[in-house]
Amino acid sequence: MLTAAKNQLKVTKLSIKYAVMREMLNKTTFVSNIIFMILNNACMIIQWIVLFSLKDNVGGYTFQQILLLWGMSSGVYGVAHFFFDKAFSLANTINSGKLDAYIVQPKNVLLSAITSNVKVSAIGDIIFAFVMYFIYGFNITTFILYILFLITGGLILVAVSIIFNSLSFWFNNTDMVSDTVNSLMVNFSTYPEGIFKGITKILLFTIIPVGIANYIPIKIITEFNIYLFIINISVCLLLILISFIIFYKGLKKYSSSNLMSARI
Amino acid sequence: MRKYAFIIKTQVMSNLQYVFNLIFNYISYFIILFIFFNIWQYIYSDSTNLINGYNLNQMTWYVVITEIIWMTLNGRKFCIQISNDVKSGNITYNINKPYNYIGYVLSTHLGDILIRIGIYSILGVLTGFLFLGRFPDLNIFSVIIVIITIFLALIISTLLITFIGLFSFFIEDSGPFYWVYSKLILVFGTMFPIEFFPSIIQKILNFSPVYVVSYGPAKLFVDFSWNNAISIIIAQLIYLAIAYLMCYLLYKKGVKKINVNGG
Repeated sequence: MLTAAKNQLKVTKLSIKYAVMREMLNKTTFVSNIIFMILNNACMIIQWIVLFSLKDNVGGYTFQQILLLWGMSSGVYGVAHFFFDKAFSLANTINSGKLDAYIVQPKNVLLSAITSNVKVSAIGDIIFAFVMYFIYGFNITTFILYILFLITGGLILVAVSIIFNSLSFWFNNTDMVSDTVNSLMVNFSTYPEGIFKGITKILLFTIIPVGIANYIPIKIITEFNIYLFIINISVCLLLILISFIIFYKGLKKYSSSNLMSARI
Repeated sequence: MRKYAFIIKTQVMSNLQYVFNLIFNYISYFIILFIFFNIWQYIYSDSTNLINGYNLNQMTWYVVITEIIWMTLNGRKFCIQISNDVKSGNITYNINKPYNYIGYVLSTHLGDILIRIGIYSILGVLTGFLFLGRFPDLNIFSVIIVIITIFLALIISTLLITFIGLFSFFIEDSGPFYWVYSKLILVFGTMFPIEFFPSIIQKILNFSPVYVVSYGPAKLFVDFSWNNAISIIIAQLIYLAIAYLMCYLLYKKGVKKINVNGG
């Protein structure tokens, strides 16, 4: 069991390594993608400078905390899209019959499918996340927590995406649903929860778990709370488990489309 | 011009097949509008307050209009399409055709836009009404002027994005340039009116694309005046000519770099 997990990790690592090498063939594009993504994220800080010139705090967040939220949000997105970019287009892989290539491999189908590509610009998101953290203030404990939450947040984002993308095994055109859920997760994650009320707030901690992936970590980093910490880790593990169950349940329904293609 | 009109017509007919997809895509934009409505409600603790000359009602409608323009444009996809045309060599299929490439991409994108602007305008205005319970004070003439400025804004944006996309002749992926361009338009013209920035930045923004592609039409919608309307339309016409010329020159320079290897 342990050897199998170790082997799988090795394959996943190699898969990501070769995907990065592929992207690095054109170094100018590789570097410009990263730099421009950092600039792209930095542009949005202007929005908060304007809003904080109108009010001292927005949704209960100070400017420093907003920067940390932005960092967390881009870092979570970066981790999810750098390591597991294909999880966000899994519905397309299923619908077009491209899953065949992964089924014939003697490794975990889901992991092989979602780690077969990397999004270079996501490196820019991760760098931006750390820049925001250092502006907020460095402390060894919060730094370790921050890295941990970037990983748990990224995994939550990926798990939610797998769950909704896996609906493609049963229904048609579910890519629109999964795209919408993904964009909801990203859009809500960059705004403090204090501006939302009632049902929206409940949704942010349930169906669209932005609250667990982004808001709770900010609360923990600001003021450590063991219960919130346990909630974050447990929900992350639970969602990963659910995503695997749903994907493999759906995989039994999968039928090949006899698509002939070469993966280079 | 007839050939370009035919391209627009063909594209409109093709897009009519995907009306449901467009309506479904609106959900993401509805959420953005919802987030902004919540932010402005939070900032305007009293809805009758004026911040930089705008009340809550005007601010919400401002964002609704700029977002309608933004979502209609779907610039990211359009930029990728042009960039891919250049990278994949598909652009060579257009060289020997009896039309100008810039005119061709402008026509195809206008064909895409025509359906989207209709659907998103209806849904956007309904969303604004749902949030606020009232429309801004407008008469038939001001509505016509706003529609004209929105169309001019869309054409100018299309040309500016074409210009960015054509950068792929020189660097492989022009996408990153579009990210920064789009974020600047988003932050300086879509989320806030120009009046929300310091006076020195306002002066720069008044001469920037932000003024013609985003701020102008929305400003007229929430606070119409004939003086503003005339200056916005004149600025748009100047930008239209400059943007077309820039695209034309860049295409002319870039097309010389094409190597046709057969296949």
